[in-house]
Amino acid sequence: MSEEDLRYLREQLRAEPPEALRALPGAHLRHLADAISTARRRQAEALQEAGDQAFHYVPRLLRGPIKRILS
Amino acid sequence: MGENIELRAEILKLARLLGFQPEEVGYLSALPGSEVRQLREQVTELLFDSHLGALKRLAAASRLLPVALVAQMGEKAFGPLLSARITGLLDPDKAVDVAARLPDAFLADAAVELDPRRASAVLARMPPERIGAVSAELAARGEYVTMGRFVGHLPDESIRATLDVFGPADTLQVALVLENKERLGDLVELLGPDRLEEMLAAADSAGLGAEARELLEMAGASGPSDLKRQRAGARARARPQS
Repeated sequence: MSEEDLRYLREQLRAEPPEALRALPGAHLRHLADAISTARRRQAEALQEAGDQAFHYVPRLLRGPIKRILS
Repeated sequence: MGENIELRAEILKLARLLGFQPEEVGYLSALPGSEVRQLREQVTELLFDSHLGALKRLAAASRLLPVALVAQMGEKAFGPLLSARITGLLDPDKAVDVAARLPDAFLADAAVELDPRRASAVLARMPPERIGAVSAELAARGEYVTMGRFVGHLPDESIRATLDVFGPADTLQVALVLENKERLGDLVELLGPDRLEEMLAAADSAGLGAEARELLEMAGASGPSDLKRQRAGARARARPQS
Protein backbone atom coordinates (compact mmCIF):
# COMPACT_ATOMS: atom_id res chain seq x y z
CA MET A 1 0.00 0.00 0.00
CA SER A 2 1.19 3.52 -0.72
CA GLU A 3 -0.03 6.64 1.04
CA GLU A 4 -1.18 7.88 -2.35
CA ASP A 5 -3.46 4.87 -2.89
CA LEU A 6 -4.88 5.27 0.58
CA ARG A 7 -5.50 8.98 -0.03
CA TYR A 8 -7.30 8.16 -3.29
CA LEU A 9 -9.55 5.68 -1.46
CA ARG A 10 -10.19 8.21 1.32
CA GLU A 11 -11.20 10.81 -1.28
CA GLN A 12 -13.66 8.48 -3.01
CA LEU A 13 -15.05 7.15 0.27
CA ARG A 14 -15.20 10.63 1.80
CA ALA A 15 -14.24 9.03 5.10
CA GLU A 16 -11.22 7.47 6.79
CA PRO A 17 -11.03 3.85 5.55
CA PRO A 18 -10.93 1.12 8.24
CA GLU A 19 -7.42 0.59 9.61
CA ALA A 20 -7.11 -3.01 8.35
CA LEU A 21 -7.25 -1.85 4.74
CA ARG A 22 -3.68 -0.60 5.14
CA ALA A 23 -2.63 -4.24 4.88
CA LEU A 24 -3.94 -4.49 1.30
CA PRO A 25 -1.74 -3.92 -1.75
CA GLY A 26 -2.16 -0.57 -3.51
CA ALA A 27 -3.82 -2.20 -6.54
CA HIS A 28 -6.68 -3.44 -4.32
CA LEU A 29 -7.14 -0.05 -2.71
CA ARG A 30 -7.33 1.54 -6.17
CA HIS A 31 -9.76 -1.15 -7.27
CA LEU A 32 -12.04 -0.32 -4.34
CA ALA A 33 -11.73 3.43 -4.88
CA ASP A 34 -12.54 3.11 -8.60
CA ALA A 35 -15.51 0.87 -7.81
CA ILE A 36 -16.91 3.41 -5.34
CA SER A 37 -16.49 6.20 -7.86
CA THR A 38 -18.19 4.13 -10.59
CA ALA A 39 -21.08 3.20 -8.27
CA ARG A 40 -21.72 6.89 -7.53
CA ARG A 41 -21.56 7.80 -11.21
CA ARG A 42 -23.95 4.97 -12.17
CA GLN A 43 -26.36 6.06 -9.48
CA ALA A 44 -26.34 9.64 -10.78
CA GLU A 45 -26.98 8.44 -14.34
CA ALA A 46 -29.78 6.12 -13.22
CA LEU A 47 -31.39 8.94 -11.26
CA GLN A 48 -31.28 11.29 -14.23
CA GLU A 49 -32.71 8.70 -16.57
CA ALA A 50 -35.44 7.60 -14.13
CA GLY A 51 -36.42 11.21 -13.42
CA ASP A 52 -36.91 11.89 -17.15
CA GLN A 53 -38.85 8.67 -17.62
CA ALA A 54 -41.04 9.20 -14.54
CA PHE A 55 -42.07 12.62 -15.76
CA HIS A 56 -44.04 11.02 -18.61
CA TYR A 57 -46.31 9.36 -16.03
CA VAL A 58 -47.22 12.69 -14.42
CA PRO A 59 -50.62 14.05 -15.52
CA ARG A 60 -50.26 17.22 -17.64
CA LEU A 61 -52.00 19.39 -15.05
CA LEU A 62 -49.44 18.50 -12.39
CA ARG A 63 -46.32 18.76 -14.56
CA GLY A 64 -45.81 22.48 -13.77
CA PRO A 65 -45.94 22.14 -9.95
CA ILE A 66 -43.84 18.97 -10.05
CA LYS A 67 -41.22 20.65 -12.25
CA ARG A 68 -41.01 23.53 -9.76
CA ILE A 69 -40.38 21.09 -6.87
CA LEU A 70 -37.75 19.21 -8.82
CA SER A 71 -35.81 22.23 -10.05
CA MET B 1 -16.81 -20.01 14.10
CA GLY B 2 -19.25 -17.53 12.69
CA GLU B 3 -16.39 -15.17 11.77
CA ASN B 4 -16.01 -16.81 8.34
CA ILE B 5 -19.75 -16.85 7.71
CA GLU B 6 -20.04 -13.21 8.75
CA LEU B 7 -17.04 -12.21 6.66
CA ARG B 8 -18.50 -13.90 3.57
CA ALA B 9 -21.84 -12.16 4.22
CA GLU B 10 -20.13 -8.78 4.56
CA ILE B 11 -18.14 -9.28 1.34
CA LEU B 12 -21.35 -10.20 -0.48
CA LYS B 13 -23.13 -7.08 0.84
CA LEU B 14 -20.26 -4.80 -0.13
CA ALA B 15 -19.89 -6.42 -3.55
CA ARG B 16 -23.58 -5.81 -4.21
CA LEU B 17 -23.34 -2.16 -3.29
CA LEU B 18 -20.48 -1.78 -5.74
CA GLY B 19 -22.13 -3.80 -8.50
CA PHE B 20 -19.59 -6.64 -8.31
CA GLN B 21 -19.65 -10.39 -7.93
CA PRO B 22 -18.21 -11.31 -4.49
CA GLU B 23 -15.20 -13.01 -6.15
CA GLU B 24 -14.14 -9.66 -7.61
CA VAL B 25 -13.45 -8.33 -4.12
CA GLY B 26 -12.28 -11.72 -2.82
CA TYR B 27 -9.08 -10.05 -1.58
CA LEU B 28 -11.14 -8.62 1.30
CA SER B 29 -11.35 -12.11 2.81
CA ALA B 30 -7.90 -11.46 4.30
CA LEU B 31 -9.45 -8.81 6.57
CA PRO B 32 -11.50 -9.16 9.76
CA GLY B 33 -15.28 -9.20 9.18
CA SER B 34 -15.76 -6.19 11.46
CA GLU B 35 -13.48 -4.06 9.25
CA VAL B 36 -15.26 -5.14 6.06
CA ARG B 37 -18.54 -4.30 7.77
CA GLN B 38 -17.24 -0.84 8.66
CA LEU B 39 -16.17 -0.29 5.04
CA ARG B 40 -19.54 -1.52 3.80
CA GLU B 41 -21.33 0.86 6.16
CA GLN B 42 -19.18 3.74 4.92
CA VAL B 43 -20.01 2.89 1.29
CA THR B 44 -23.72 2.59 2.19
CA GLU B 45 -23.67 6.03 3.81
CA LEU B 46 -21.88 7.50 0.81
CA LEU B 47 -24.24 6.03 -1.78
CA PHE B 48 -27.42 6.81 0.16
CA ASP B 49 -26.26 10.36 0.88
CA SER B 50 -25.03 10.99 -2.68
CA HIS B 51 -27.68 12.85 -4.66
CA LEU B 52 -29.71 13.17 -1.47
CA GLY B 53 -30.97 16.58 -2.59
CA ALA B 54 -32.41 15.16 -5.83
CA LEU B 55 -33.88 12.16 -4.01
CA LYS B 56 -35.52 14.42 -1.42
CA ARG B 57 -37.04 16.57 -4.18
CA LEU B 58 -38.45 13.44 -5.83
CA ALA B 59 -39.92 12.35 -2.50
CA ALA B 60 -41.43 15.83 -2.03
CA ALA B 61 -42.91 15.76 -5.56
CA SER B 62 -44.50 12.38 -4.86
CA ARG B 63 -46.71 14.05 -2.22
CA LEU B 64 -48.66 15.69 -5.03
CA LEU B 65 -49.31 12.39 -6.78
CA PRO B 66 -51.82 9.65 -6.06
CA VAL B 67 -50.49 6.46 -4.47
CA ALA B 68 -51.28 4.31 -7.52
CA LEU B 69 -49.25 6.60 -9.77
CA VAL B 70 -46.28 6.66 -7.37
CA ALA B 71 -46.35 2.86 -7.32
CA GLN B 72 -46.45 2.71 -11.11
CA MET B 73 -43.54 5.16 -11.39
CA GLY B 74 -41.57 3.21 -8.79
CA GLU B 75 -41.98 -0.04 -10.65
CA LYS B 76 -41.68 1.19 -14.24
CA ALA B 77 -39.36 4.21 -14.06
CA PHE B 78 -37.28 4.10 -10.88
CA GLY B 79 -36.82 0.38 -10.48
CA PRO B 80 -35.81 -1.38 -7.25
CA LEU B 81 -32.48 0.37 -6.60
CA LEU B 82 -33.72 3.96 -6.78
CA SER B 83 -37.00 3.01 -5.11
CA ALA B 84 -34.93 1.63 -2.24
CA ARG B 85 -32.97 4.89 -2.04
CA ILE B 86 -36.17 6.97 -1.91
CA THR B 87 -38.21 4.76 0.47
CA GLY B 88 -36.81 6.21 3.68
CA LEU B 89 -37.46 9.75 2.42
CA LEU B 90 -41.17 9.25 1.75
CA ASP B 91 -43.87 9.81 4.31
CA PRO B 92 -43.90 6.34 5.99
CA ASP B 93 -47.68 5.87 5.68
CA LYS B 94 -47.60 6.78 2.01
CA ALA B 95 -44.64 4.43 1.48
CA VAL B 96 -46.67 1.57 3.01
CA ASP B 97 -49.63 2.39 0.75
CA VAL B 98 -47.34 2.43 -2.27
CA ALA B 99 -45.80 -0.91 -1.24
CA ALA B 100 -49.31 -2.39 -0.98
CA ARG B 101 -49.68 -1.84 -4.74
CA LEU B 102 -46.36 -3.39 -5.71
CA PRO B 103 -45.78 -7.10 -6.34
CA ASP B 104 -43.87 -9.22 -3.80
CA ALA B 105 -41.11 -9.83 -6.36
CA PHE B 106 -40.49 -6.09 -6.78
CA LEU B 107 -40.46 -5.53 -3.00
CA ALA B 108 -37.98 -8.38 -2.67
CA ASP B 109 -35.75 -6.77 -5.34
CA ALA B 110 -35.99 -3.45 -3.49
CA ALA B 111 -35.29 -5.12 -0.13
CA VAL B 112 -31.93 -6.32 -1.46
CA GLU B 113 -31.00 -2.67 -2.13
CA LEU B 114 -32.64 -1.08 0.91
CA ASP B 115 -30.80 0.21 3.96
CA PRO B 116 -33.24 -0.96 6.67
CA ARG B 117 -31.84 1.57 9.15
CA ARG B 118 -33.14 4.36 6.94
CA ALA B 119 -36.51 2.76 6.36
CA SER B 120 -37.31 1.45 9.84
CA ALA B 121 -40.42 3.69 10.16
CA VAL B 122 -41.78 2.15 6.95
CA LEU B 123 -40.85 -1.39 7.97
CA ALA B 124 -42.57 -0.92 11.34
CA ARG B 125 -45.83 0.05 9.59
CA MET B 126 -45.84 -2.71 6.98
CA PRO B 127 -48.55 -5.33 7.61
CA PRO B 128 -46.84 -8.43 9.09
CA GLU B 129 -48.44 -10.76 6.53
CA ARG B 130 -46.89 -8.68 3.71
CA ILE B 131 -43.48 -8.88 5.39
CA GLY B 132 -44.06 -12.64 5.59
CA ALA B 133 -44.89 -12.82 1.88
CA VAL B 134 -41.80 -10.84 0.84
CA SER B 135 -39.66 -12.88 3.24
CA ALA B 136 -40.93 -16.06 1.58
CA GLU B 137 -39.86 -14.62 -1.78
CA LEU B 138 -36.42 -13.74 -0.38
CA ALA B 139 -36.02 -17.20 1.16
CA ALA B 140 -36.97 -18.82 -2.18
CA ARG B 141 -34.12 -16.83 -3.75
CA GLY B 142 -31.70 -17.80 -0.98
CA GLU B 143 -31.45 -14.11 0.04
CA TYR B 144 -30.59 -14.88 3.68
CA VAL B 145 -28.05 -12.08 3.87
CA THR B 146 -30.77 -9.56 2.99
CA MET B 147 -33.08 -11.02 5.61
CA GLY B 148 -30.27 -10.93 8.15
CA ARG B 149 -30.04 -7.15 7.67
CA PHE B 150 -33.76 -6.68 8.27
CA VAL B 151 -34.52 -8.73 11.37
CA GLY B 152 -33.20 -6.08 13.74
CA HIS B 153 -35.60 -3.52 12.25
CA LEU B 154 -38.79 -5.55 12.23
CA PRO B 155 -41.43 -5.61 14.96
CA ASP B 156 -42.03 -8.95 16.69
CA GLU B 157 -45.28 -9.52 14.78
CA SER B 158 -43.47 -9.26 11.45
CA ILE B 159 -40.71 -11.60 12.63
CA ARG B 160 -43.38 -14.07 13.72
CA ALA B 161 -45.02 -13.84 10.26
CA THR B 162 -41.60 -14.45 8.70
CA LEU B 163 -40.85 -17.45 10.92
CA ASP B 164 -44.23 -18.88 9.90
CA VAL B 165 -43.17 -19.00 6.25
CA PHE B 166 -39.58 -20.08 6.90
CA GLY B 167 -38.46 -23.67 7.11
CA PRO B 168 -35.90 -24.57 9.83
CA ALA B 169 -33.00 -24.36 7.35
CA ASP B 170 -34.09 -20.84 6.29
CA THR B 171 -34.23 -19.70 9.91
CA LEU B 172 -30.78 -21.11 10.54
CA GLN B 173 -29.26 -19.38 7.51
CA VAL B 174 -30.73 -16.02 8.55
CA ALA B 175 -29.65 -16.43 12.18
CA LEU B 176 -26.08 -17.12 11.06
CA VAL B 177 -25.81 -13.81 9.20
CA LEU B 178 -27.99 -11.73 11.50
CA GLU B 179 -26.65 -8.18 11.68
CA ASN B 180 -28.16 -7.15 14.99
CA LYS B 181 -27.08 -10.06 17.13
CA GLU B 182 -28.72 -8.42 20.15
CA ARG B 183 -32.04 -9.60 18.68
CA LEU B 184 -30.98 -13.24 18.80
CA GLY B 185 -32.63 -13.69 22.19
CA ASP B 186 -35.95 -12.33 20.83
CA LEU B 187 -35.64 -14.57 17.80
CA VAL B 188 -35.19 -17.66 19.97
CA GLU B 189 -38.16 -16.62 22.09
CA LEU B 190 -40.34 -16.07 19.02
CA LEU B 191 -39.22 -19.37 17.52
CA GLY B 192 -40.35 -21.34 20.53
CA PRO B 193 -38.93 -24.69 21.67
CA ASP B 194 -40.32 -26.87 18.88
CA ARG B 195 -39.07 -24.77 15.99
CA LEU B 196 -35.79 -24.21 17.83
CA GLU B 197 -35.37 -27.97 18.04
CA GLU B 198 -36.06 -28.27 14.30
CA MET B 199 -33.58 -25.51 13.56
CA LEU B 200 -30.86 -27.23 15.59
CA ALA B 201 -31.59 -30.50 13.76
CA ALA B 202 -31.30 -28.64 10.42
CA ALA B 203 -28.00 -27.19 11.63
CA ASP B 204 -26.69 -30.64 12.56
CA SER B 205 -27.59 -32.06 9.15
CA ALA B 206 -25.90 -29.11 7.44
CA GLY B 207 -22.75 -29.59 9.55
CA LEU B 208 -23.43 -26.26 11.28
CA GLY B 209 -24.42 -27.62 14.70
CA ALA B 210 -21.50 -26.00 16.52
CA GLU B 211 -22.21 -22.61 14.91
CA ALA B 212 -25.91 -22.80 15.78
CA ARG B 213 -25.19 -23.67 19.42
CA GLU B 214 -22.68 -20.86 19.65
CA LEU B 215 -25.38 -18.50 18.43
CA LEU B 216 -27.66 -19.77 21.18
CA GLU B 217 -24.93 -19.08 23.70
CA MET B 218 -24.38 -15.59 22.32
CA ALA B 219 -28.09 -14.97 22.70
CA GLY B 220 -27.87 -16.09 26.30
CA ALA B 221 -30.68 -18.39 25.26
CA SER B 222 -31.53 -21.80 26.56
CA GLY B 223 -31.82 -24.96 24.50
CA PRO B 224 -35.22 -26.29 23.44
CA SER B 225 -35.83 -28.40 26.57
CA ASP B 226 -34.93 -25.53 28.95
CA LEU B 227 -37.15 -23.24 26.91
CA LYS B 228 -40.04 -25.71 27.25
CA ARG B 229 -39.50 -25.87 31.04
CA GLN B 230 -39.33 -22.06 31.29
CA ARG B 231 -42.54 -21.68 29.32
CA ALA B 232 -44.35 -24.29 31.41
CA GLY B 233 -43.19 -22.43 34.55
CA ALA B 234 -44.40 -19.10 33.15
CA ARG B 235 -47.77 -20.63 32.24
CA ALA B 236 -48.11 -22.09 35.75
CA ARG B 237 -47.26 -18.74 37.33
CA ALA B 238 -49.80 -16.99 35.09
CA ARG B 239 -52.59 -19.45 36.06
CA PRO B 240 -55.04 -17.81 38.48
CA GLN B 241 -54.69 -19.06 42.07
CA SER B 242 -57.81 -20.80 43.34
